[in-house]
Amino acid sequence: MLYWKRQNGKRRLTLRGKEALAGYLFILPFLIGLLGLFLPMVVQSIRFSFSNLNVTSEGYTLSTAARHGFEHYLRALTIDPEFNRMLLGAIRDMFVNVPLIIIFSFFAANLLNQKFRGRTLARSIFFFPVLLSSGAILGLETSDLLLNSVNVAETGSDSIASFVNVAMLLREYTDLPIGIIEFLSNAVNGVYSIIIASGVQILIFLAGLQSISPSLYEASDIEGATAWENFWKITFPMISPLILVNSIYTIIDSFTSATNEMMTEIKTTIFTDIKYGFGSAMAWIYFICIAIILLVVGRMISKRVFYYDER
Amino acid sequence: MVLFQHKKRKKPNHSRGGDFVSILILLLFGSFMALPLVLAISNSLKPLEELFVFPPRFIVRNPTLDNFHDVFVLMVGSWVPFSRYIFNTVFITVIGTVGHLLIASLCAFALAKHKFPGRKLIFAIIVTALMFSTHVTAIPNYLIMSKIGWLDSYLALIVPAIAKPLGLFLMKQFMEQIPDSLLEAGRIDGASEFTVFLKIGMPQVKPAWLTLIIFSFQDLWNLQGSTYIYSEELKTLPYALSQISAGGISRAGATAAVTVIMMIVPITIFIISQSNIIETMASSGIKE
Repeated sequence: MLYWKRQNGKRRLTLRGKEALAGYLFILPFLIGLLGLFLPMVVQSIRFSFSNLNVTSEGYTLSTAARHGFEHYLRALTIDPEFNRMLLGAIRDMFVNVPLIIIFSFFAANLLNQKFRGRTLARSIFFFPVLLSSGAILGLETSDLLLNSVNVAETGSDSIASFVNVAMLLREYTDLPIGIIEFLSNAVNGVYSIIIASGVQILIFLAGLQSISPSLYEASDIEGATAWENFWKITFPMISPLILVNSIYTIIDSFTSATNEMMTEIKTTIFTDIKYGFGSAMAWIYFICIAIILLVVGRMISKRVFYYDER
Repeated sequence: MVLFQHKKRKKPNHSRGGDFVSILILLLFGSFMALPLVLAISNSLKPLEELFVFPPRFIVRNPTLDNFHDVFVLMVGSWVPFSRYIFNTVFITVIGTVGHLLIASLCAFALAKHKFPGRKLIFAIIVTALMFSTHVTAIPNYLIMSKIGWLDSYLALIVPAIAKPLGLFLMKQFMEQIPDSLLEAGRIDGASEFTVFLKIGMPQVKPAWLTLIIFSFQDLWNLQGSTYIYSEELKTLPYALSQISAGGISRAGATAAVTVIMMIVPITIFIISQSNIIETMASSGIKE
């Protein structure tokens, strides 16, 4: 590929070169932000994870941690009694919840995309959990005991119990054995936390469904396709790039949500116990696990994604 | 005599039974989702003695606007004029959202529709950036802000919000779907690359950026930012309101009212943008 050629002794950009130049210009602002703000942050965090950080009156000093700097990593993996359990727990939760969230949100978006009266209202209702899980309202709740009951978006499964205690209701009105009652109440609470976690995904799918050109459906209707065929031959391939977005978003969201046990542990280690080195090391082990999972899942889905006009 | 009976053909995916089922399912899930909101509103209308009833009642018995009145009184009595907090949050939200939209779309357009060396690498870095939770990066982020000297200014809140990787990722996936022939047509007619982006690319993905606006607005509107901002006159509305609720039990009613007040604006933005999305396809130019 040639990006420039010589013409009359002068170097001139070819068409391809011009396109590449325009491309670089377009991503330049983002790149500056990335290199200026994001990368230094990453580098600093890696440095912290290999050192002991001491806070002094002038700022902080770093000294290399024991065992060639790997002390914190080894401690997390081999000495800390909770770390491995929490790590596996977070991964297990992710594998259970993510497929369910994706399927549910895709389903809900398809329903919400149909024409019926009051659908803006219906969409808004599905957006509420996103609102409630946002920073300010969470902040308000933590400072107030009463509003903890509104805290559903954050703690999900725990708080539904405060409204409708499924297990208690069942025990009172039925004679089912305790095992079945537990299973049922867990299922209900699970459904609840999945619905609550899928607000953003529904919106992304909705936007995707709305950018599918109606002319595609028109053409296939004229050719006599059924709704079922339309769904699998038009809707599904056209929305597949967003299945990739949503899967990656959901995986990350599940790993980094403030309720995740692992996240809370990292946060307490760093901010409450002020062990920045150990906390950073835990965060990096956690991060590497997420990265591997994302890489595998991303590859798997990318292979099947259909791009309308791929070059 | 009627020769042709025009039978109204039902659209395949629009049968009455199907409508009924889908509305039923939506009602079921919707009621799950609306539950916390209903509770929040009902709490904000409860008089103080009713807030403390145990077990808590879901629906308010004697609705009153006292709580909202309390919030208003507290606002008037604040040290910095309350309008200042509102201005700060509106300013940060608007600049941050517009900047994010512009920069993320530009970058996404280039990544999706231009070929140049290194674009795969840049995209990989962006996906990686998605993974860094704000908790993990909080301290380095603070150190960087202090080194650049952005602490205690709007920049510390606006610039990181502009560079949020999720929006970029979302826009890139949508931009992939724009037919190249449409862009080519614009280029052949002599449009500059930026015009092609603004006049052809962006209208095609209107649902995407309307959704992006919702996300960005929602994030920034609720930004407390008290880690980076020390001057009282630069602090944000969520911070000021959280101070009201910091009063503890005696402010319980006011806190409930504050929760509702904070939700109203994002919901309005959401409804406006959603009703805009519906019209999008009518104006779209895809004809292939």
